[in-house]
Amino acid sequence: MSQSKLDRRQFLKGLGLGGAGVALAGCDLPSYVTLEQGEENVISYLAPDEYVIPGVGVWYASTCLGCAGGCSIHGRVREGRVLKLEGNPDSSVNMGRLCQMGQATLQSHFNPDRIANPLVRKNGSLVEASWDDALSLINEKANSGKAAWATGAISGHQRVVVETHLSAIGGSNHYAIEQINANVWQTACGDIIGDPNPEIHLDKAKVIFSLGADFLATFISPVHFAAHYGEFRSVPRGTLIQAEPAMSLTGGNADHWVGIKPGTETSLALGVANALMNKHGISGSGISNATKSLINEHDPATAASICDVPADRIEKIAASLAANSPSIVLAGGTATANANGYSAAAAALMLNQILGNIGVTITSGRELAYPQLGLIEGNSANLKDLAVDANKGKIDVLFVSGTNPLFLAPKSIKMDEGWNKIGFKVVLSSMLDETASAADVVLPLASSLEDWGSHIPAYSTGTRNLALQQPLMEPVFSNTRGFGDVVLGLAKQAGAPGLDEYDDYYGYLRSAISVLKKTDSEKEWNSFLMAGQTPVPSLGRKLSYIDGKISQTANTATDGGLTLIASARMGMWDGRGANLPWLQESPDQISKVVWDSWAELHPKTAKSLGIKDGDYVTIKSSNGEITTRAFIYKGIHPGAIAVPIGRGHSALGRYAKNNGVNPLFILDGGVDAKTGEIATAATRVEVKNAGKNKPLAKLMEIDRQHGRKLVATISADKQRITEGGT
Amino acid sequence: MSSLFGNILKGWTDYTKGIEEGGHHKYEHMWGMVIDLDKCTGCNACSVACYAENNIATVGEEKYKARQSMQWLRVERYFDEPDIDPGAIDDENAMQERGASFLPMMCQQCNAATCEPVCPVAATYHTPDGLNAQIYNRCIGSRYCANNCPYRLRVFNFYSYTDEDGAWPEPMKQQLNPDITVREKGVMEKCTFCIQRIRAAKDKAKMENRKVKDDEVKTACQQTCPTQAIMFGDLLNSESKVTQAWERQQVKLGKYKQDRENPKLRGYRVFEELNTDPSVLYLERVREE
Repeated sequence: MSQSKLDRRQFLKGLGLGGAGVALAGCDLPSYVTLEQGEENVISYLAPDEYVIPGVGVWYASTCLGCAGGCSIHGRVREGRVLKLEGNPDSSVNMGRLCQMGQATLQSHFNPDRIANPLVRKNGSLVEASWDDALSLINEKANSGKAAWATGAISGHQRVVVETHLSAIGGSNHYAIEQINANVWQTACGDIIGDPNPEIHLDKAKVIFSLGADFLATFISPVHFAAHYGEFRSVPRGTLIQAEPAMSLTGGNADHWVGIKPGTETSLALGVANALMNKHGISGSGISNATKSLINEHDPATAASICDVPADRIEKIAASLAANSPSIVLAGGTATANANGYSAAAAALMLNQILGNIGVTITSGRELAYPQLGLIEGNSANLKDLAVDANKGKIDVLFVSGTNPLFLAPKSIKMDEGWNKIGFKVVLSSMLDETASAADVVLPLASSLEDWGSHIPAYSTGTRNLALQQPLMEPVFSNTRGFGDVVLGLAKQAGAPGLDEYDDYYGYLRSAISVLKKTDSEKEWNSFLMAGQTPVPSLGRKLSYIDGKISQTANTATDGGLTLIASARMGMWDGRGANLPWLQESPDQISKVVWDSWAELHPKTAKSLGIKDGDYVTIKSSNGEITTRAFIYKGIHPGAIAVPIGRGHSALGRYAKNNGVNPLFILDGGVDAKTGEIATAATRVEVKNAGKNKPLAKLMEIDRQHGRKLVATISADKQRITEGGT
Repeated sequence: MSSLFGNILKGWTDYTKGIEEGGHHKYEHMWGMVIDLDKCTGCNACSVACYAENNIATVGEEKYKARQSMQWLRVERYFDEPDIDPGAIDDENAMQERGASFLPMMCQQCNAATCEPVCPVAATYHTPDGLNAQIYNRCIGSRYCANNCPYRLRVFNFYSYTDEDGAWPEPMKQQLNPDITVREKGVMEKCTFCIQRIRAAKDKAKMENRKVKDDEVKTACQQTCPTQAIMFGDLLNSESKVTQAWERQQVKLGKYKQDRENPKLRGYRVFEELNTDPSVLYLERVREE
């Protein structure tokens, strides 16, 4: 630990960065203490170091790595410590705003359970070792067979060094794993409209019809979309219609929330298309005859019987879309987390085509001119591939960073068995999670607020920026190293060519960006760091529409069980937020539960199973069982049970360990037929009362306002009279 | 002691005046807020930003369950819409047809604050900025104020959270904001409208010999809000966005019942009828019927 020398100036000097103008983004004011009888300045100004003036906070720009969204941040540094993060107002990704996970990044940086020293497995257990010993062990073993890398979403120069290292050790497989992703939607967009990451203009839409896409919480770039949602709700106010089997945060904000039988979203979209064509005279240009005949088979009454949504609601959705143009139709989340996921995304794009939204609210995105720096989003199909390849003995040496496959993988895909077949496993991590605990060597990483990096945000409009990450303070744990430094060192050690001239990752990154930006001036470099981002060349794409690829082979099983939905929440995310007490104690947006998992059940289902609120319920699939407490409400389809992802750790740290359950473990391993994404909303389960009750700790003991004017609601018709809009 | 009694008497006088002649205060600033419930998504970013800015302790599951949570800003969630759909919630077999209703609640900074006159030691008082403030080192923990708050927006330190097994084990302590205190066991605390940010802006304005500009103070919750549902500013500054929003909604301070020309306007104050004269204006949530 290095509390004695938390001095950013010394530290920057160490990197050759002394002198004026270093990344100075702005000062805030000296802090005065106002006593009751007047003001007194209690801090003396004793010959201060530059930028380390007692009482003066300085804001430095960097990038949030809480998810792949890549929001730009400003971190307030005072007396050498980073105290608070805020969004960077100049960023086109997040426009100065941050979500709760971004705010809580501070606690992963100052986390008491961070790994302080390298760990090496000896006689079956991990023991502390020196960097030299750990690295020489890796050097000895890394070339001993087929090597691979597993990461989370990765972009920029970190991606380049990982791939350089991988090829230097003779490996070719890079598994980018993200459990929470928009892979199905993006694949469908790539296939059907020719752009996997089109621009989505929520602010221009008069109606958003979303099939499960939780764009306010877990879809591609939540803060960006939430900001546009704010515009969407300004005059003239748009209407949000959300169809999903269990209420997400976006569903929680819907004007019309449509509880749908899990896995039948395609039928709903076809039913809406049918009503649009037959009742509202929409022609359906560009739609093939095959699709048209599918649409004809799904009149609202037929669609209603498949997806368990009343026919009049389907007609109401169509009427709303027909009357308000432009609109936008999205698919994601639970709608794409079943065997028909791709089909639901294709059906959503078909609706956009017949409604004339393509080119209006969905426009072409831009592609990085340097594809090797681009973002590999990561998905869960890669997680399954990793398990399969490991079990087949295709991996002898595995490097892991930024993902936790042993926590994310359903037991049915046999990740644990595969993991044990890998001869030598190296995990680079700042926390001792499930995967690190099972590694042969653990290399302790600097936190995201102590490290250098460059990132391509998952989504942005207009100019593409390279988001820059710079250390905001000296390492809290002095024996940790930056991700780039470690991988660069590993690559050099493995004999990768052309890296010898770089002493560290900072030097490498700076040279790489100098080349990219065609300038090596100190001043320019400082201006990039101050801005926290720098534009990079990109190429426009063009949108087209190729129809097809819709099929509905719905899971219509009626064996008396329920469909388990492993739901994604902003907060715990894929489990990475579980050791941050701020996030554990931040009530879930919908259930308002803190510090534990819960199982959402509809009152009708709960009654038939004899389950009351707070009862422990056992959820059993063909691959195991979990027991957690029931949360009963009407925001879930009676045929479903939803358990949030993120808790149920057996490692990671004091706040995460033995807290809650992990629904991913009992998934049956089913996948989306087209993309291979693990179907998180399709496993059939039996639910039983476990015979115990303990009320959940939650913010809201009541669900109703009991006639008090707490959240007053006004109908949109009345609001239009006073505030305008059509 | 005489000054203490003086303070208490002054608290009573202010409170009575606040009720009888609303808007009587002679403030330097009158900090107020507007929260648009149609833009609020209930995402909780504000609440976590508040923990980060204000050194708020986390308490763990059991204490949370015992309602000993320390959060200054909570986002309430309701599933009914009594104004447009009073019967919907009673059908047990139905599903929700709309989303939920979210309500970010922080101290409403009442101008006739029911918490103020009951404090036996005048630890809770009104600042010349129109803020309802808590003097931590004067607080003896009688909890009368929390008992008297109709909004339940005061939180009490039933325990000490500064030990190694508390809310900030090393090195988490290093994140604590040195601009404000860490409260100890036995002390009441509450939302301050980020008084440290207000003070910094006022100091800067004073040094530059000018008035505080609109938008110069941003509270932590307002700053991070992804949809910018929260507006904050000085209600005595006629140019400020909050003043204009209050005027647009025809809501006036110092009243327990607004006589508006246009009853369809969205602005309202929670429990205004109790004559607490809160400084937070909410705009009604809008829903398609």
